This record gives sequence, C-alpha cells and structure tokens, in this order.
Amino acid sequence: MSPIRILTAVPICDGHDSAINTINLEFIRHGIEVIYLGYHRSAKDIARAAVQEDVVAIGLSTYNGGHIEFFGEVVDLLEQRRLAPPIKLFGGGGGTITHADAQIMYGHGVDRIFFAGTPLEEMVKYLRGGYGDVARFPYDLAFAGSDQFLSRQLTLADNGSGLPPQASETASAANKHVRSTKVIGLTGPGGAGKTTLIDELVLRFLHSHAADRRVAILSHDPSIVGSGALLGDRATMIYSQHDRVFMRSIGTRGMAGGLSLSTDRCLKILAESNLFEFILMETVGTGQEAIPFGVDRHLVDQSVLVMPPDYGSRIQLQKIAMIDVADVIVVNKADLRGARTALTEIESRIRTNRKGQRLLRTQANRHRDTGVDQLFELLFTDTDTPQ
Amino acid sequence: MTSLGQVVLAIEEYRRFVVSQIRKARTDHEFGQQILQKWQEAKARIGTTVTPTGLRLPRLALPDLDEAGEIARFLCEEGLPGEFPYLTAAYPEQYLEPAAADSKENETRRNHEKPVIEEPTRLFAGLGLAEDTNERFHYLSRNQRSKRLSTAFDGPTLYGVGASADGVFGKIGEGGVAIDTVEDMERLYAGFALDQPNVSVSMTISGPAPILLAMFLVAAKHRFGPDVGPKLRGTIQADVLKEVQAQNELIFPIEPSLRFLADMVDYSSREMPRWYPISISGYHIAEAGATPVQQAAYTLSNGFAYVDYFRNRGLDVNVFGPRLSFFLDCGLDVEYVALARVCRKIWAIGMREVFGGGNRAQILKLHTQTSGRSLIAADWHNNLTRTAAELMLACMNATNSCHSNSADEPFTTPSEEYARYAAHAQAILLEESGLFRHMMNTLPGSPGMKVIGNAVEEAILEEFREIEQQGGVLGAVERRYQRSQIQASGHMLENQIYNGVRPVIGLNRYYDQGRDWPEVRMMRTPKEKKQLQLDRLQDFEKRHAGESERCLDRLSDVVDNGGNVFEELTRTVEHCALGQITERLCEVVGKFRPMV
Repeated sequence: MSPIRILTAVPICDGHDSAINTINLEFIRHGIEVIYLGYHRSAKDIARAAVQEDVVAIGLSTYNGGHIEFFGEVVDLLEQRRLAPPIKLFGGGGGTITHADAQIMYGHGVDRIFFAGTPLEEMVKYLRGGYGDVARFPYDLAFAGSDQFLSRQLTLADNGSGLPPQASETASAANKHVRSTKVIGLTGPGGAGKTTLIDELVLRFLHSHAADRRVAILSHDPSIVGSGALLGDRATMIYSQHDRVFMRSIGTRGMAGGLSLSTDRCLKILAESNLFEFILMETVGTGQEAIPFGVDRHLVDQSVLVMPPDYGSRIQLQKIAMIDVADVIVVNKADLRGARTALTEIESRIRTNRKGQRLLRTQANRHRDTGVDQLFELLFTDTDTPQ
Repeated sequence: MTSLGQVVLAIEEYRRFVVSQIRKARTDHEFGQQILQKWQEAKARIGTTVTPTGLRLPRLALPDLDEAGEIARFLCEEGLPGEFPYLTAAYPEQYLEPAAADSKENETRRNHEKPVIEEPTRLFAGLGLAEDTNERFHYLSRNQRSKRLSTAFDGPTLYGVGASADGVFGKIGEGGVAIDTVEDMERLYAGFALDQPNVSVSMTISGPAPILLAMFLVAAKHRFGPDVGPKLRGTIQADVLKEVQAQNELIFPIEPSLRFLADMVDYSSREMPRWYPISISGYHIAEAGATPVQQAAYTLSNGFAYVDYFRNRGLDVNVFGPRLSFFLDCGLDVEYVALARVCRKIWAIGMREVFGGGNRAQILKLHTQTSGRSLIAADWHNNLTRTAAELMLACMNATNSCHSNSADEPFTTPSEEYARYAAHAQAILLEESGLFRHMMNTLPGSPGMKVIGNAVEEAILEEFREIEQQGGVLGAVERRYQRSQIQASGHMLENQIYNGVRPVIGLNRYYDQGRDWPEVRMMRTPKEKKQLQLDRLQDFEKRHAGESERCLDRLSDVVDNGGNVFEELTRTVEHCALGQITERLCEVVGKFRPMV
C-alpha cells in the first residue's frame, strides 16, 4: 500500500516554522510521506506544488494572522482546477485561529483546523482516518496537458500500477527515442549542493527561454518501504516554485542507488508529455559506489556529478565510481578550503579517462555565479546531445 | 582562530587574573591596603534612602567583607553596579527613585551621576495601519515621562513585500503595523516630538531594516527639518544572523545583508549618533525553542561576529561599540536568575580584551521581553502570573528596558485592556513594591545566583568553543549548527510538555475541563483598512511613477559600485515604496535561500 502523501507549508510573510518542524517529524514517524514546502510561501505556490505532487491533503501552519483569507485563497485555487478527488486542506495556528474563525473557514471548504493543545497523536489519527484510503484514477483526457493530468499519471506509476493507459498508448513511440525533451541527471553525495544548483539552473532557464517553455524536475529523497519520508527539496528552492516549472518529489521507498523503482516510468511519462524542454533529475545523496543512471546512462541524455571539495583523500576520490561515468563533473562550494586540490585531482583523473568529460567549478549559493552560468551554457544550449 | 576563540581565551585569562588578584591582595601587604582603602571609599560614597515606613537603608548593599582577598574577589568578579565587569548592573541607580533633595550627601553624589532616570517600560505595539498604531502609542505612553515607543510590523513589511503583492492582502496590518512608504512612516509617529530627548522609538525589523530606517529618517526630516538626524533616539533590530538561525525573516543572502547593515551602522554612527542601529537579539532564538544557555551563547557570539565584521570594514569600535544593544528573552527556567548578568560580564571582557573597546563600548545594554512562548491558551489568565514572575527575574538582572507580554497574546495582538495590565505589572514591581526602588541590589548576589551564574558562564563558553571549531559564527551558520541546535531544543521542549516532564499549569497539570477556551476579543484589521493601505500604496506609486525607476537604477549602481547603500536609500525612499526597493535589491544581490 502506498503511504499517505501530504504537503505542508507556512503561509506567505510568516516564518514561524517551529511547530511545523515538530509536526512534520511526527507525521513521518507515523508512516506519512510529507512534502515540505517551507515557510513564506504564497497560496499559488502551495496550490501548484500540491497539484504537481498529487497529495491527498495540504497542512498549513500559520501564526501571524490573515488565515481566513489565506486558507480561502488556497481552497479557491484548488477548486479552480476541478481536482478529483479534491485535495483537502487542514491546518492550525495555536491560539491565533479561534473557533469562530474555524467555522468561517469550514464554510469556505477547509477540512479541519487543529486548535491549541491538540496532541500530535490526534492529528496523526485524523490524517490516517480522513486521508488514508483515497482512491485515485487517471484524469479524463480532456485534462491532458494540465499539471494534474501529468501528476496523476506519475502517482499511478509511482504506486506500482504500471503505466497508466494513456501513457501506454504512446509508449511505443517513446521507445523509438523520438525525444523532444532533454533529460539531465544530477547526482552526488548529500550536501554537495545539488538542489541549490538545480534551482539556480532553473532561474537561468526562466530568464533565457521563451515564456511558453517549461522545465520539469524529478527529485528523489530516501525513504523506506512502508514508512514515512520527508521530501524537503522544495523548501530550499526559491526560483523553482513557478508556473513554468513542474516539480515532482519521489521517495525511493527502499531502493538503493539513488533512484526509485518507478523512476524509469516517471521519466517516460514526463518526456512523453511533450510539455518540457528539459527534465532535471536529482538523485538522493549517493555513496561512492553509485552509478544511478547506469554505466551506459540510458536513463538520461547527460549526467552531472556534483561534488563538494571535501571528499577526503585522493584515495577516496579514486573510489567514486561516477567520476568515470559522468559527462560533467562539478566541484560546487568552490569557495571552501580544498577546492583547488579537488579540481587538480579530478582534472588529472578525467584526463586519463579520455572520455571528453567536462570539469566545472561552481558556487551555487552565490548570486549570479559565473561557474553556474558556464554550467547552464553547457547543459542547456549544447547541441551535441540529442534535442 | 576567529575572534570568538580569542574571546574564550580572554575569559579564561580573566579567571586566572581574578585568582592572581586575590592571592596578591592576601600576600602583597601594600596591594591589600589599597584594596581595603578602595572598599572604604566605595562604602563612603553610598547614599541613604528612607522608605515610606521610615526604614533608613543604604542605596547600595555591599557584602560584609573585611578581608582584602575576598574584597578583591568581589570587585573583580562582580564589580560595583556600573563598573567592570558590570555583573550587577550596566549603570548605578538604574531603578532607584531620585534621592531626596534635602539630603546633602545625595546632592553632591548626584552631580556626577546619571541625572535622568527613565522608566524601563517599553511596550511593543503594532496593529492595523499606521494611524491605528499611532493611536495605540499615544494611549500607552500617555502617563509616561519618557515616551518609549516600540513598533511591531506586519508580515508583509517584515518580508519587504508590498501590500499590493500577490496573495498578501489578508496579512495587511495583522500582527503588526503595515508600512509601505515614507508617508506611512510619517503617520506612524505623528504627534510625537521625535526631536526631543524624552522620545525614543524602537523598530523590530531585520530583513528590510535599512529601508525602514531610511524611511524613518526621511519622515523625521520632513517634520523636523534636515538637521534632525543627531537628535533622533531609538533602536532598530537589524539582526541578520539571528534571522538565519531562528526567525526566518531574511530577504537577501547573508553577505549582502551584512554589507547593507554595515553601511547603515557606518552612516548612523556618523549622522545619527544617538541611534542604536542594531539590537542583537536572543529573543527569537529562545522563542524558537533554544535553551537559555543557547540563547545567550548564540546572541553573544553573533554580537562578537558583528563587531568583527564592522571592524574589518574599518569602523571604529569606540564609535559603533557604544551604539550596539541587546535584546533577550526571559522565561521561567532557573538559568534566568543570572543569565543577563553573565552576558554583561562576557561582553565586557570580550569587548575590552579582544576588541580594545573603552568603557562605553564594554557595556551590554539590554532590553528584555518576557517569554511569549511561555504563555498558553489553556486557563490563559495564568499568563498574568507567568509574566509577573518573568518580569521579576528580568529586573533582578537589571535589564535596561523591558517589555512585559499581555496575557491574551496566545490569541491575538494585545488588546488595550491586557496591554494596560502588562504595563502596570512593571509599575507595580518597580514603583509600588519596595524591591527595586530603594536599593540597587536588594536581591542580586545570593549564593544560588552565583552558582547558577558560574554554571551558565561555563556552558556558554563551551558553546563558544564548539562554534569556534566550526570556523566561527559564520562558518557555523553555514553548517546550520545554531539552527540545528535550536530546533532540537525546540523539539525537546515540546516533548517535555507533552509527556509532562515540564509542568505547564492548566495544560498538563491541574487541567480544568471546560475552562480551556477563552472569550478573548481578537484584534483584527478590517477589510476596508486593508483596502485603504492598498489604495494608498497604489496612489503613492502613481504619484512617483516618473521618478521611481530612475531612483531604483541609481540604487542598483550604488550596490554594484560598492558605495554606501544606506545613504542612497535615504534618497530612494522619497520616491519608491518598500516592495519596489526590495524587489530591485533582490534582482541585484539575489534572494536568501531558506535553511530548513
């Protein structure tokens, strides 16, 4: 059985994330998959993310007022999409939401408000009871091209029901490699800065490509079969919460190697949708042995290994299998001590590989970093790779 | 080694110095005599006071010591109120009633000591639009000799987002006042003589602080003329580091945020010498769940990091040092018996020994707020008692100013009624009770207080050592050290409340069924007011449409060319609204990437 999938966030202009952090932990401890969008998030960002992630419910934690309007706005945005089943909205705000407020909010379609002092177990129980067994079916073809259509296909694929019928019809075409979408895979150890790098690449895409061009992100976070997971990449992405970006977070549900059992199917669905110029796929933080995209990298068109400068000794470097396989190697956090050593050592390694691999240095946490500019050029405008 | 490591060494060195002074006082006869002499003089300087019941008391109580070694220990470890290392108090006579005029000894003493005594009361207020908050300010300060206004801003203002931004309408004027333009700023403090020494203003805002202070300065110039800068008194929070560590209200990345801050400190030190351009804040760190020791350690280390940063910018520690101020939380944990005292001592030693700060730069000037987190919805009238107890601890620690929370705060922006009770609580403690108004140290100095203080001091140093290990404050921030510790403590605290290890009366102990939901009047901003704010903003932007783009371009140039951004902002705010300025600055320097 697939876990309950919900999205949590703190509304715009509110940074009170202490309660939601505690609640997130409690949810995942009880087997719930939580996509955490972070704090200071607009209603639009929340509704969009909920649809793209195909969650059953949204949980909002609010502490500085305006909740009646804000919750109402989220409900309205969800209703406009004619979702089936509708995404439920629940939330809390300590003592800032009164019983009278809650009545107004219920009248507007909010599912449940938890008041101050509600034990965490009670919330978990409510989620399990109310959101546990929601049946999901493919959307009607009339919805084709919409985020929710795509998103539901991904859900069905991710939950192991194989390719949904609409996708199967075109699957044979995809097998002939008639791909209009370029798939870029990014991998590397946890903490290398993959998520930040992707967000910065997306920013450059949004600026440089026409307003009708979109990009997709398929992001992996580790999870164990039958237990919860915190899918938190969205929380640190500031530019990727955008109508031109379709992002999906998936838990690995026990798969080793950085990807999920359903990655293949999900990629196919995204590529065949013909909605995206590019798909950026992020693996979980990987170990030395991982070759997540396969030795022949059949899953992606281009593979990028993102590394921090402090991988340990030269011997440790020798052990990183991806270095022999990746098309592009990026030493991120290039401002840290050890960056020069890393660059020199990796440079000499790929020279002996003789595979035409590219090495770049980036500092993704710096605005307008020229290293990221170069990486963007390489990945998003290079015509050598299939387009 | 970063400067924080040097601070640790300086504290350790100071401890050795105290031991050596004690030994010297005991073994070196001449030195011992000097100490005894100094003690006699100190005793002789103490004036007397007569209580309403006719009891005659000294204004300062000194321990009954006649042995030079022990006197040396007292003078070095604690010092007299207002003397290094400022353990008991930053200034002498802080809360005391002015001495009776007929007393001759007091007359002479008063000539060379701080003549004006201000009430420490400073109540935080902010609701609705500028004129609503203005009305509240007038109400709160109507009986005060000194008008000390403290401003809470609404969410959109704190994030530098305009009232017209997508999806923020509901947040306008909620939980604080909505400020979009320099015209709002004029309305906010209307009727207060900002150019007079008895008026001071505090603004609790960090992310867009330079923009807000520029608006304040320009609004004051509109009202009081171009030369008002040096007369303006007040504080702006502008604490970038604690936003990253706990409060999440940062707009720009850390580096440009620090640069804008330094530009503001540089400018205000020169042009607004009575202004405190930063309030180094532990309050939000504690409210996010930190233990008292973590609060103190992260706040002090942030303070030293700022001093280091400003010094590297070429600013003079004896010019900006006296303009730094601190803001701490005071809850009910036992550490609070001595926490602020220890902070004063560590700051004084660090500033003197590591940064070469003179007397005025050594003094940690403190604003305290009672713990908002300790207030709960269940049986909420108990919050009056909680706040009173916290207030007592804050005064025992000789805070320089204080905000006491309103009992209805778990639900709403304080209502007038409970804001009044909160203010009266301070008056009851300081004016009605005899605890603080007769003697400088009626309560401080107990053996328990000393033991707690020593334990707290060592625990703070241990945190400093850990932060130093991670490359100092900025290195530790990058590694999310402070943030992770604060979050972990927050979770621990919640768990302790849930499983009852931490008693919370009316919640997990003595729970009274049927009393759990109060009837509180919620302070909300009506829709019409929100619309009015929006209309005003759009009207302002329309009137300045011809100028704003040019102003923003010039601001971008100054950012790119390394000029003083704050100085330029004092021109930008004449024609541009907060949201426009923030948006432009984000284009130039990027946005802060949230840490979670």
